[in-house]
Amino acid sequence: MVYIRKDVSTLTTSERRRFVNALLEVKRRGEYDEFVRTHIEYYTADGERGLRVAHMAPSFLPWHRRFLLDLENTLRRVDESVTLPYWDWTRNRTLTAVPWTVDLLGGTGRRSDRQVMSGPFAYRHGRWTIKVGVTDTEYLMRDLGRSRDPLALPTARDLEKALKDPVYDTAPWGSTSAKGFRNKLEGWGRGSGPASWLTHNRVHRWVGGHMVSGASVNDPAFWMHHAFVDLLWSRWQRRHPNARYLPARPLPAGDAQHGRVVARRQKMPPWDVTPEELQDHSRIYRYA
Amino acid sequence: MLSNRPPRCLPVHSEPVPADDRSSAGVHRRRTTDRRRVLRGVFAAALGLVSAPILVASRSAGAEEARFDETYRGRSIVGVRSGGRRFGNGGSGAWHVTVDGRQLHLMRRVDGGWMSMVDHYQSYATPLAAARAAVDELGLVARPGAPGDRSGRREDGRMPSGAREAEREHRHGVHP
Ligand SMILES: [Cu+2]
Repeated sequence: MVYIRKDVSTLTTSERRRFVNALLEVKRRGEYDEFVRTHIEYYTADGERGLRVAHMAPSFLPWHRRFLLDLENTLRRVDESVTLPYWDWTRNRTLTAVPWTVDLLGGTGRRSDRQVMSGPFAYRHGRWTIKVGVTDTEYLMRDLGRSRDPLALPTARDLEKALKDPVYDTAPWGSTSAKGFRNKLEGWGRGSGPASWLTHNRVHRWVGGHMVSGASVNDPAFWMHHAFVDLLWSRWQRRHPNARYLPARPLPAGDAQHGRVVARRQKMPPWDVTPEELQDHSRIYRYA
Repeated sequence: MLSNRPPRCLPVHSEPVPADDRSSAGVHRRRTTDRRRVLRGVFAAALGLVSAPILVASRSAGAEEARFDETYRGRSIVGVRSGGRRFGNGGSGAWHVTVDGRQLHLMRRVDGGWMSMVDHYQSYATPLAAARAAVDELGLVARPGAPGDRSGRREDGRMPSGAREAEREHRHGVHP
């Protein structure tokens, strides 16, 4: 049965509760930390050797689509009514908007140590202890809006620049691809500083704390953010119905990216699945 | 004091995989293989067979100092470039960076930029800039390391038994 992923701002009180409880249960079972580990493990930057699949690569979108499906299936084994909600950060833009409410993700971190103090994921409740991470802290950290040097979330206009690009991705198939929907959405801009933090990347920075680290999956905001990114891929596909994932074929020997990015019909580790097989999710879930 | 010690920050890289259309040879890297690869990297480094990131361009090449050691916002940040050998196209070297004595893992971007595990969604022109940015992100309390590892573990100390698998995990792709 096709299920629906909803805008998090439209969830009922009981839907919110069930979503949060399923996350806490998956965490309690130790399964959640496997997701954190997988994301750290597959984050290979494009200046490193070897195949990269999760970031700075054409497969950024299908990789995260499959990653989200795995978490969603895990949640649905706990409570079949649960689906991943998405956070539309072009609409819910303030520090007090959803999902930063006490019945969902809780608010920003406190000033002294960025520890999230409110909501179900606050450390003191003992149900969200960070076990896999890149800092010695065991509590979830956030700095919504980057208080020390405030930053705005991307706008619908920023997104439009990505959505109107008719080509999925372009050489050199990484963080320096100047054209193509994928990097415009992933958000590696030119230069340095705030002007270079675009779209998806900018949202990681806006949330701050764990979300800006290699262990970003520790913040459940990760899933709502990426569900929206996933929705944007579908939106782009509807707008460019003849466009497909690129590269279509493996890059030839001699190309600097030969063997380092996944082509349309190549398997995408850690799964036995190809980007092509993930292009259409309409028989699994739809977005409301 | 650090200069004579080989860096513990071991460059670990997967080998480029040959790609052919359907078979996705090698693209099938499984996680167990990854772990093996990590171990292989450790051995390789121990033998001095240190590999380096492939850089298409490296704008900071040559211009950097071979080390830095400063206090930034009350944190001690130290970086040492392992010397002599030519690394990558630009020869900018493998860096071992610590914050308060704890290793800060760095990765390279194809444009020559450096990113740390603490600040993973942007890169910086130099290892020093990446280390300072990591301190900015760490805030007043957090230190690089594994969750719950509140010991004063230093580079020259042993990993306490409480150190979690993450330590091993994030050695992946980590780099000089
Ligand atoms: Cu992300």
